[in-house]
Amino acid sequence: MLRIMLQKMWQKKWMNLSLLLGCILLIAIAVSFPLYQKAAYDRMLMDEFEKYMGENGNWPMVIHMTAYCQRDNKGTIGRMEDFSREIYDRLGVPEYETIYYYSILRGVLTSEYNREDAQNMALSLSAMTELEDHARITAGEMYSESGIGEDGCIEVIVPQITMTTKELLLGEKLTFDSLVTAEGDPISIRVVGVYTGNRTEDFYFQENPENMFDTCMMKPELFKEMFTGENASKYNITVNIYNLPDYRTVHEDQVGSVTDATVYLTGESPFRKVIKAPDYKGILDEYELKINRISQTLLILQIPVLVLLAAFLLMISGQMYEMEKNEISVIKSRGSSRVQILRLYVYQGLAITVAGALAGVPLGAFFARLLGSTRNFLEFDLNEMLDITYTSKALYFTLGSMLITLLCISIPAIGHSRVSIVNLKQNKSIGKKRLWEKLFLDVVLITVSLYGYYSFRTRLSDISQDVLSGKSLDPLLYISSSFFIVGCGLLFLRIQPFVVSLIYLILRGVCGPAGFISFMENIKNSRKMQLIQLFLIMTISLGMFHATVARTILENAVDNTEYVDGADVVLMERWNEIRDENGTPTGIFIEPDTTKYMDMDFAKGFTRVYYDDEAYIRKNKNQRTPMTLMGIHTKEFGELTELTPGLNNSSYHELLNELANTQGGVLLSRNFESIEGIKIGDRIDYYNGKGKALAGTVVDFVDYFPTYSPKVTVIGADGNATEADNFLIITHFSYMKKMLGTRPYEVWISLKEGATGSDVYGFVENHNLLLTKYVNRPEDMEKTLTDPLLQGTNGVLTLGFVVTILLCAVGYLIYWILSIRERELIFGVLRACGFHRSEIVKMIIIEQIFSGVFSVMAGIGIGRLTSDMFVPILQASYATSEQILPMRLITEASDMYRLYGIVALVMIVSICTLIALLFRMNVTGALKLGEE
Amino acid sequence: MSENIIETKGIKRAYDTPAGRFWALKGIDATVPAGCFCILKGRSGSGKTTYMNIISSLDDPTEGDVLFEGTNLKDLSQKERENLRRRKMGFVFQSVSLIPSLNAFQNVEFSLRMAGIKINRETDKRVEECLKIVGLGNRITHMSYEMSGGEQQRVAIARALAHRPSIIFADEPTAELDSAMAARVTEVFKDMTRKEGVTVLMTTHDTGLMGAADMIIELDNGNRVY
Repeated sequence: MLRIMLQKMWQKKWMNLSLLLGCILLIAIAVSFPLYQKAAYDRMLMDEFEKYMGENGNWPMVIHMTAYCQRDNKGTIGRMEDFSREIYDRLGVPEYETIYYYSILRGVLTSEYNREDAQNMALSLSAMTELEDHARITAGEMYSESGIGEDGCIEVIVPQITMTTKELLLGEKLTFDSLVTAEGDPISIRVVGVYTGNRTEDFYFQENPENMFDTCMMKPELFKEMFTGENASKYNITVNIYNLPDYRTVHEDQVGSVTDATVYLTGESPFRKVIKAPDYKGILDEYELKINRISQTLLILQIPVLVLLAAFLLMISGQMYEMEKNEISVIKSRGSSRVQILRLYVYQGLAITVAGALAGVPLGAFFARLLGSTRNFLEFDLNEMLDITYTSKALYFTLGSMLITLLCISIPAIGHSRVSIVNLKQNKSIGKKRLWEKLFLDVVLITVSLYGYYSFRTRLSDISQDVLSGKSLDPLLYISSSFFIVGCGLLFLRIQPFVVSLIYLILRGVCGPAGFISFMENIKNSRKMQLIQLFLIMTISLGMFHATVARTILENAVDNTEYVDGADVVLMERWNEIRDENGTPTGIFIEPDTTKYMDMDFAKGFTRVYYDDEAYIRKNKNQRTPMTLMGIHTKEFGELTELTPGLNNSSYHELLNELANTQGGVLLSRNFESIEGIKIGDRIDYYNGKGKALAGTVVDFVDYFPTYSPKVTVIGADGNATEADNFLIITHFSYMKKMLGTRPYEVWISLKEGATGSDVYGFVENHNLLLTKYVNRPEDMEKTLTDPLLQGTNGVLTLGFVVTILLCAVGYLIYWILSIRERELIFGVLRACGFHRSEIVKMIIIEQIFSGVFSVMAGIGIGRLTSDMFVPILQASYATSEQILPMRLITEASDMYRLYGIVALVMIVSICTLIALLFRMNVTGALKLGEE
Repeated sequence: MSENIIETKGIKRAYDTPAGRFWALKGIDATVPAGCFCILKGRSGSGKTTYMNIISSLDDPTEGDVLFEGTNLKDLSQKERENLRRRKMGFVFQSVSLIPSLNAFQNVEFSLRMAGIKINRETDKRVEECLKIVGLGNRITHMSYEMSGGEQQRVAIARALAHRPSIIFADEPTAELDSAMAARVTEVFKDMTRKEGVTVLMTTHDTGLMGAADMIIELDNGNRVY
């Protein structure tokens, strides 16, 4: 059996190689999905954690237990400590740091020195584990090993703030008035050192020493010995335990269990009441919502490609059985059982599938890395590859895809194994209607997709809202477009013979014998070509559609990031406000030195921008409409910023010119016109955030202006998010300076070509800038481009496109080679009858025009239509809360040329191969073939 | 029947095989008068098909000349030979050689197109006439898969005849047919020479069909023996 199988496979080596190719691709695509997800989601998780760290300056995973133990005689403190050690196991995340912080209620002390404000002297005697390893001593020294001085005083160190507010002296001895040892002896402390520590440098300092203005720290071991354990019942102790699990080890697949453990800790555990709700729970919840959405989106985008691959396998194996039909029927007629024949094919399928998996899994890993390096549609950055790890999920995907390929290869054999030589002869007729034609599958698919189209079209904004609130999407949303493409393709195939007949009727008189045969072949035999034609149509239309989807989603996201950021870099330094002798702010600021901005050799230039989002206009005495106020240098601003054309009625620079030419002029957001009824030329009074009155003449209205969002989401008192109008006034920087004096402004910087975010970082660090606002567009852009949803979408679509093209080329070539082989005898006859070779070539070309070029044209038409109809809907599902600019449908001409180029190449290669095949054909040889 | 349509002089054809040169034809001289029904007879491997391929310009002799209506085929280019085949010659092959996507009528009409004849009412009549000659006047719209082997072969004969060629080459046209059908097909050929004045050169190894021939050429082992 094995020998027969191998022999059979060798005979049809090209077909089997094509099957193997399909198999490898299917398995690779299927496996790349979980591999990419794992890597991208891990990266995304780290990004989320680090984003938190950046925004909050704290370790992203902190579980804080806090309890006030009043005369603890039940051993609560000990149990809390034990439980805190368990936390890491429960979470399944290793420990990064655990800080135990004990504190005895503030007690009044008397100094050894005679102090004026003796009654104010109160300190909490506290201890933090391992403080000696983290604290930096700025004066004096750390408490000694024993923690007790020679004179029996407890040695303590205090933060600078305590030192200052309590006016303590280094070496000062103080005695607690009422705090005594367990034995009843008075407790004295001696300040031996001043320490400092900073959370931004060391996450150990969950409590900022600068906020501990009445705390003194003693040696923790000594503290525990003196005040906890058996002695705990005599003291009131506040215990704070900070558990810092090492977030860097958390992987995507652990998120569920970490969340569950956290819910247990804060909701069910015996210490739920002392555990504060941790911030990371929110991060993880949001993360899970996000990855679910991404997984769903990517899966749905991959399905058409997988279906296409399965169809390819079915097509090739079907074609192969068609060729082996005679053999099968002969074997069958000689008494082989159906099961034996089936077994032969299943073994063959198994051999191909196993070989496919061996090559497909590594290829899948490569695909996954490629997905992670996607920069745009058909663009990869191979330096930015993801690290791939195999997971159990990937194994399931491998096995699942192997089963599918095995089925695809073997299923066609079931039908064929039934055929005996008698049925075969009876079945040779052509021209029977296919099942899909009888079932009107084309009409059904188009109807369903149009239903989907119209129902989604009417509720586009709802889709965005659903997405933003994390609801799962109706899969029909995605499937509609695929249905539409297949439906239209089938409809085209139904109509095609009529079109060809019509063309034939018109050309009947003038077409020569070659044309005649080609026409007839296309009219009568069109059904044989349907599968390959559908394949071509789907490749092209899906390719176009996917290119448009990918471009549109990405470019819109990029445009939006550019818009939201305003400039390449926006920063605002911390300004110092001058205070009067009573300490009240005077409203006069010290302007930081701006000459340093001239030294930025990586920048094209900078401009100053007043930005006040607490400004308002008065409707009447009591009613204020809040708005954003911007003061700009029109010329500099126009040089440094850009706006996508078409967003406003006039061009961006015209608007700025209008403003520049009108002294005291203002540009208003469009809603001033539509809601407040203000017209061009009106005079408008407005107020800055401090209530200073300003005024201006309305020059024009803008719909969009860098950073400006016409709508803002406002969280109401009930906690519900509602959309509110956002108003904007743009005026001259100089005018505001004149009216308000020098006030804090932002610096907008435009970078030179090739400058990076780190150049800006370096600048900020070198000048020790303290910033209250920092926008770094290159970094934001990088984040946008590597956002797993966008990147995954682009990657999947690109990969899908490349795979489809490959399949299409192979499928097309195989179809035509077989079709020519099948007709070798007829070609021989024609040549014998005096047909010129050129006429045969002409015949093949005409046939290619009808099958290939017609399909390509249909594919282009359907692709365009599908893009126009469905891209806006699909886009809605990529909505982000920050999407401000209206969505634009983007088709990159180069994508289309690339697509057409590849298709043209495929067709030319196949025509050339066919012609070469024809030229090798010997007339008398072909005729002999018929006699055998 | 006054002129010779074909004249061959010393036709030799050799094939290079691993075992050395093999002479399939060893110098055949023959003349076929126009309008006769000539049977080329011989056992399998006697060189019938090779000889027929050479005189129908499908193959070149290693030595010797073929004169077709007085023209030496050697003097014709590939293209001229092809034109000669499509205008002056008709072919019937042993195996079914109909174009599957065409019906009986279109298959016959096809030879008219090949010969460069403009399709019109007249040609339609001619097609029907040819199908009638082969006894298939009532099956003109049938596709090839709807007909029996004999019927398909008769359509092929009608196709070979339709463009009024000077000669029809029929290579073992009866090999796949039963003897009654073979006799019928032979009769059709014979009939055609009478009605259309066409020359028919048919190869066969079936001795039962010899009676119908006006002329017999017999080959054996590459030599003419009769």
